[in-house]
Amino acid sequence: MTLDFPIDNPPTRYHPLTTQLPIKVATEDVSVRYGGKLALEDVTLEIPDRAVTACIGPSGCGKSTFLRCVNRMNDTIDTARVSGSIRIDSEEVNGRDVDPVVLRARVGMVFQKPNPFPKSIYENVAYGPRIHGLAETKAELDHIVETSLIKAGLWAEVADRLHHPGTSLSGGQQQRLVIARAIAVNPEVILMDEPCSALDPIATARIEELIDEMRENYSLIIVTHSMAQAARVSQMTAFFHLGKLVEYGPTEEIFTNPLDQRTQDYITGRFG
Amino acid sequence: MQSSLFAVLALLVLTAVGFLIGRRRAVAAGSGRASRLHSLPNYYGYYLALWTGLPAFVLLALYGLFGASLVNTLALGELEREAAPLIREYEAQLARDDQYQALAEETQQIEAEALSARNEMFRAEREGGDAERYLRALGALTAQRNEIAAERQVRRDQVASSVAARAPRTIPGVRARAGFEYWRAPSERRELFIADARALAFNEGLASRNTEEIRAAALALRPWEDLFRWSAAGVALALSVAGLAYARTRIRASFRARDRVEGVVGLALMMTSAIAILTTLGIVFSLLFESIRFFASIDWRIHEFLFGLHWSPQIAIRADQVGQSGAFGAVPLFAGTALITLIAMLVAAPIGLMAAIYLSEYASPRLRAWAKPALEILAGVPTVVYGFFALLTVGPFLRQFAMMLGYEDAVTQSALSAGLVMGVMIIPFVSSLSDDVINAVPQTLRDGSYAMGATKSETVRHVVFPAALPGIVGALLLAVSRAVGETMIVVMAAGQGANLTANPLESVTTITVQIVMLLTGDQEFDSPKTLSAFALGLVLFVMTLILNIIALRVVQRFRERYE
Repeated sequence: MTLDFPIDNPPTRYHPLTTQLPIKVATEDVSVRYGGKLALEDVTLEIPDRAVTACIGPSGCGKSTFLRCVNRMNDTIDTARVSGSIRIDSEEVNGRDVDPVVLRARVGMVFQKPNPFPKSIYENVAYGPRIHGLAETKAELDHIVETSLIKAGLWAEVADRLHHPGTSLSGGQQQRLVIARAIAVNPEVILMDEPCSALDPIATARIEELIDEMRENYSLIIVTHSMAQAARVSQMTAFFHLGKLVEYGPTEEIFTNPLDQRTQDYITGRFG
Repeated sequence: MQSSLFAVLALLVLTAVGFLIGRRRAVAAGSGRASRLHSLPNYYGYYLALWTGLPAFVLLALYGLFGASLVNTLALGELEREAAPLIREYEAQLARDDQYQALAEETQQIEAEALSARNEMFRAEREGGDAERYLRALGALTAQRNEIAAERQVRRDQVASSVAARAPRTIPGVRARAGFEYWRAPSERRELFIADARALAFNEGLASRNTEEIRAAALALRPWEDLFRWSAAGVALALSVAGLAYARTRIRASFRARDRVEGVVGLALMMTSAIAILTTLGIVFSLLFESIRFFASIDWRIHEFLFGLHWSPQIAIRADQVGQSGAFGAVPLFAGTALITLIAMLVAAPIGLMAAIYLSEYASPRLRAWAKPALEILAGVPTVVYGFFALLTVGPFLRQFAMMLGYEDAVTQSALSAGLVMGVMIIPFVSSLSDDVINAVPQTLRDGSYAMGATKSETVRHVVFPAALPGIVGALLLAVSRAVGETMIVVMAAGQGANLTANPLESVTTITVQIVMLLTGDQEFDSPKTLSAFALGLVLFVMTLILNIIALRVVQRFRERYE
């Protein structure tokens, strides 16, 4: 299939915002290089608080790379170089004086494959509060674990076996355990990198419900390969292609009235 | 020799011919088109070649393995039958010989006395009586018995030579004498007799004697040898041709030659792994049987061997000494092994583990690329080099250091110096295995921890280490079994005194060192002293086996979890 893309570099197309939500994360000209290779180029966008922003696009388009900029996970890769500005609540993330360890307590992350630690369910959730010293007493810690598990919709299923290993849960339960683990340190932003791609449809539905509930308290950024999922759970959608942000705007607008030909082609399934 | 070479060459040619015939017939069966055949034409060739060559070569191999001993048995059996009159005469004369019968009776009497003295001695030992007295009595009795045994042997030889001298000096007479000499010889003499006869008959090396009897045996061997050699070659060729003819009739377009060849390949692979396993079994059984002989020689006092506190096997030097109750309590050896292993692990476990953590979590890929092989070079240093490093450098240093601190009894050969150097030796085992295990921990776990805001060391301590723990335990156990079995360093650096001590500055000895000490130099393989080495070997084998089984189990469970 041949696609006639414009040869010059068209600028990102922005839809006018339809919501009045405050801006949580704002990026400006963010580029990422791995070694010499440009993986993400000049991404500028504003992500609202208390909403779900979906990043879509074909594999290798840079959406996961973008996600990893927000909590500076790219620091863990030796060859990665990040330039540009990322602000959370108008506070620069990329600054030299920002401690990524503190930053990551504010920005939680959930990965593609459920990755509970080789510890009990309780210890998995207590992990963040412990290393950040959030609980003074055992009772406080118990409380944090319980509320986090409740928020992640897992409490009813695991309340009687908190001390079983986290790996003994099913895939969908493990993913909710990981979400509870992220919630436990009280983050403001939660990043999710294809959180449902390793799950069956029923577990996926539970996670999507959960994402929708979490919207009330957090700013969520979710990378997904499923257009249907983006349409179902997100309020804002960003379409990436070949390392560039092609189009950004309210989800309804992107899916019903795309401004760029590439967006149109991708959401109608003509490539990707 | 030439005949078997000829047979092998002929078989090889036949096999090649078989291959070609099989191929050609298959092509013909498929009317020239390979696609009509079940298998590629070459497989029909292989199939035919296997039928042509395999049974015949198996037969030749069997002949090579058992042919010689079969010939020996048959030829000397023949001579022994011809010696039957001499044997009857010899036995009759001995039975009539009053002097000989008197000696036999005396022997029985002494043996009965020795048995009761022995029982008395054990009872005295148990009940705290005067065991020494019985021990001395037993010694005297044994010496007496040996003297009488020597006299009996002299008498037997006299009778035998007078009987043999009566045989005529004709060819049948000499053959009978040869059979008689062979019949009378104890087993190791029999082997020598056969070896000499074969040497004369087939030019297999030099004969140690060249007597009439041996020449007669050599002449008796030859026809049997020729018969077997030619019939083996003939039967092999016949088998080969028959195999070829049979397999040839089976080739059709629909014949599944490929599956048959595959079956043979599978069988051949199975045989090779069977050889590896059977060899191990053989080693285990030889250990086991020699150990049983040892335990029998100490009257099955196995508990004394396993739990006794005193080790001095040197008492029983000669078989005719009765001090065979020489102390075989192996606990000092077990303790010495444990002490040195403990010291070695105290060195190797922390250093190896931390090196592994540094290499896998902190080091840059470039540093890791040369640091890891550099560390593994340590594993390539011959243990004897470690040994003299321990003996000449570490040992004197530790002794002076201890003396400086006021410990005047310090010695150069100490458990500490052997343990320290052995620890250095097994560092690469620990680090390399642990590094592999740590690398096998999925990156997603580390990412999860970093994303929670954990630092690198927190991630290592709370996530990576617990995830890798089973594998690390496995690595440590393998290192322990390596340390337990290590010999050279300990022989050189730990001394030989079987001290039961927990003081690392004293010299101790280990199981492996004692095995070396017991089995080097001139030994008699029927004294308990020598046999005890096999029992020690068995204990060592069982110990390392258990450690390895546990280690492999643990590592396996770890693999299942993350793959």
